[in-house]
Amino acid sequence: MSGTRTLAVARRILAGLRRDHRALGLVLVAPIVITLLLAWVIRGSEVASINVGLYAPNGQADQVHVGFLRAAAAEVPGGVDVTIEAATANDLDELRTWVGEGRVDVGVGLPGVQFGGAPTVTVITAGTDPATESGALAALQALVSRALGAATGVGPNTNIPTFRHETVFLSADADSLDILAPVFLGYFAYFFVFILTGISFLRERVGGTLERLLATPVTRAEIVVGYGIGFSVLATVQVILLTAFVLGRIAVPEIGPIGEWGIGLGVASAGSPLIVLALVLLLAIGAVNLGIFLSTFARSEFQIIQFIPIVIIPQGLLAGIFWPIDRLPEILAAIARVLPLTYAVDGLRGVILRGEDLAASTIQLDLAVLTAVAAVFVVLASVTIKREVA
Amino acid sequence: MDGVAPTPGTSPVVVATGLVKSFGPIRAVDGIDLALAAGRIYGLLGPNGSGKTTLIRLLIGLTRASGGEARILGTPMPSRTALGRIGYMPQSESIYPELSVGENLAFFATLQGAQSADALDRVLDLVELAERRNTPATHLSGGMRRRLSLACTLVHEPPVLFLDEPTVGVDPALRVQFWAHFRRLAAAGTTILVASHVMDEADRCDELLFVRSGKVIAQGTGASLRAQAGTTDLESAFLRFSGLDDEGRPIDGAKGPT
Repeated sequence: MSGTRTLAVARRILAGLRRDHRALGLVLVAPIVITLLLAWVIRGSEVASINVGLYAPNGQADQVHVGFLRAAAAEVPGGVDVTIEAATANDLDELRTWVGEGRVDVGVGLPGVQFGGAPTVTVITAGTDPATESGALAALQALVSRALGAATGVGPNTNIPTFRHETVFLSADADSLDILAPVFLGYFAYFFVFILTGISFLRERVGGTLERLLATPVTRAEIVVGYGIGFSVLATVQVILLTAFVLGRIAVPEIGPIGEWGIGLGVASAGSPLIVLALVLLLAIGAVNLGIFLSTFARSEFQIIQFIPIVIIPQGLLAGIFWPIDRLPEILAAIARVLPLTYAVDGLRGVILRGEDLAASTIQLDLAVLTAVAAVFVVLASVTIKREVA
Repeated sequence: MDGVAPTPGTSPVVVATGLVKSFGPIRAVDGIDLALAAGRIYGLLGPNGSGKTTLIRLLIGLTRASGGEARILGTPMPSRTALGRIGYMPQSESIYPELSVGENLAFFATLQGAQSADALDRVLDLVELAERRNTPATHLSGGMRRRLSLACTLVHEPPVLFLDEPTVGVDPALRVQFWAHFRRLAAAGTTILVASHVMDEADRCDELLFVRSGKVIAQGTGASLRAQAGTTDLESAFLRFSGLDDEGRPIDGAKGPT
């Protein structure tokens, strides 16, 4: 294998990308924008307010209840802002109407005066947004138990235990962004590098340059490795930028009317950025060669795009980014275990969240699997070039 | 000039023996024998789909023959060593639109192991693109891209050239210059095979090969082919060899000369 020819292929990839500002934007800017958007959605929506409507039989839902709930709401630490709808409903049906019309987010039907037996609190929600409602319910539950405790004279400080949440990794108030952002590093590298190489190599085949390449002494291995080097340089820049954005935070002080703000998400990281880079690069090399391989089966750029629902989306769903593999149904878990992204996600979480290093057996496994997958795709890519030439 | 066989005493540069390429039931190249000598320009003529491009790809080793053998400079193809001494200009532009003229040229020169700045300058002057060196190929006109494609083929000064319709989209003045250059290369010993379906370029070749349905149906100089067919132009001669009259209709009972 000639180093000169391999590097010539790599340089030609980079020279082409340098002029292709859109492609550069896609790889370098889009992941940051998407991650930023995600951060905004997650962190922005966690401080939400809920409007609560009240009903109690026999017209008991008076200012006393409201007062207790308000007092309890004020004590809820960090977060949900609870507004108690002062006007109380005449019956549960009216409460249902209020919830249906969106006048209140949650309706609470308090138990009547009773002797013996456990009191039942009826909680009414719209049922159209389970994720938000479950958050609201949890907040409300804490609230009601505090309020009831206070109302019955058994204060939260006496018989009803309070919970103090501690975590081994990160901090107790870590949000879903802290868990998601690190693995987005891998997902973006995989996604964008695959799209770019797929289209880039498709152009080689369709535009006739592959034909000309193969009429020179360049070998298939030189082409595939050259491509790998070219796009790995790009992937490296992408990963460095995105890692800096996800893990770092530069505070910008208050200037005039603009309040203090910051660049970067400041996700806490425990591990070595070098292992993060190694994991993502191995994944990217696999993606480069998967792109070359699949470009054989496409006749146009549009057909490369058609691979996204087949190659990219299922990996996004199954690789453990959003749902842990262990909780997937058995068949899906089995599929997840053969996807390269699964190992990258596991490795990235291990390094960034749990601070694992090369001594950890899981990281060793992740690196080994990713290396093996990359090697398999390199061979597949070479074989498809051969098939073209025969 | 009239010799069909290579000059005695020198071994042919490009040799094909019983070359066959089948795509399913279709025989795109159907048993072709060739011997192309050094320093001559050969015209490969035939209608679209007659097997010209497949023949060239077989000779270079870009596609595997179903039967027969091709040798270039004595080496059986495919051979990477031999590829270093071949210049191939495919029918499509086959250049990188996002790279500049100079980058395209330097890239293919590097793959061919020719990196001297002089060689790049010479070939850029030849195709009159020296002033466009830094222009991305995508901003060139169709004719200019064709010229760049030719430059990428010539940059390593190979002794054997395969040109698949090299002058398509090239204006007449530059076309004359191209042919003058091909002639100079041939005089210096380069073997050139030019595929074309345009008969008016054929007379610039030393020797012609008429290809039809994957077979060489006639071979010789333009003059000798016209004489054999009893026609005044090559197009009619081609039709005669195909067993057709000037309107393209089969001639009853007539068989083209062999």
